[in-house]
Amino acid sequence: MTQVPDSRHMTATTATRVLGTVALVAVVLMGLLGLVVSPADVVQGQAVRMLYLHVPSIWIAYGAFVLTSFSSALFLFRSRHRHDGGRHHDRLAGSAAEVGVVFAGVTLVTGMLWGRVTWGTYWQWDARLTTTVLLFVTYLGYLALRRLPADPVIRGRRAAVMALISFVNVPIVHFSVDWWRTLHQKASLSVGRRPEITGEMYWTLLYSTLAVTIVASWLIVHRYRVIRLEELRDEEALEALIASRLREDDVQA
Amino acid sequence: MSEVTTVATGWGLSFVVVATYALWVVGRGKTIGRELGIGGREELEPESDSSKPADS
Repeated sequence: MTQVPDSRHMTATTATRVLGTVALVAVVLMGLLGLVVSPADVVQGQAVRMLYLHVPSIWIAYGAFVLTSFSSALFLFRSRHRHDGGRHHDRLAGSAAEVGVVFAGVTLVTGMLWGRVTWGTYWQWDARLTTTVLLFVTYLGYLALRRLPADPVIRGRRAAVMALISFVNVPIVHFSVDWWRTLHQKASLSVGRRPEITGEMYWTLLYSTLAVTIVASWLIVHRYRVIRLEELRDEEALEALIASRLREDDVQA
Repeated sequence: MSEVTTVATGWGLSFVVVATYALWVVGRGKTIGRELGIGGREELEPESDSSKPADS
């Protein structure tokens, strides 16, 4: 039987409304810090302000794809132990991947614009740029696979396998600037390495990452709930179809 | 394109992309919520817990 829709199936709760408000305030503050308070760079001038969008966006995309892979692995290997057959993990994987693709897209757009000012070209087929666009396209393919009509469990398995394969590219994108000679600069912040930036720029970058994380969390929670609503709607439609067929059989009998 | 124009375009486009996606997600939740009768309960049962709208 289809569950009766109740307040648990809505996309917004008091907690997500609070999170949404915090996200909005955080973004406004991020704009103020990134566009007004932080200083222009000695070498790059005003163009350095792209850093506060470009870098957090790709970090959030990485994080979202990690969440997609982790949830997909749980769906593949632990779904038998769950009462819902692992659908929670499948929904989480799908919602995180979609948000990851949005932020990977933001990374590409801001990177191209930034490249035009600093390198004199929007695009160069170097290792970092090529692997990033490949990452974007691969996860677009993952999202397309999720929309193919199939039994939810089979579709979930196919998508989970693709998510795990797609994730192989994430470390390649991140380390491409170390493994190959590229036009792209090395990572601004890395574990175990002195930061390339300091002072107000450093703190603005960290704050922007926090703000973008809050926005992405809000989006993932909402998208997760919308996927659950879509499933409920599909189940209701299927039940209505079966009931209609049964009535037809009764009439014929 | 000057540095300032580049920065304004980059920030503006990013804002539009994320805001459009957020609105699409909320709108889709609202639409499906109505189809399932979640949003419609607001008028029928104004005091029930399920009478909250399906958006944020």
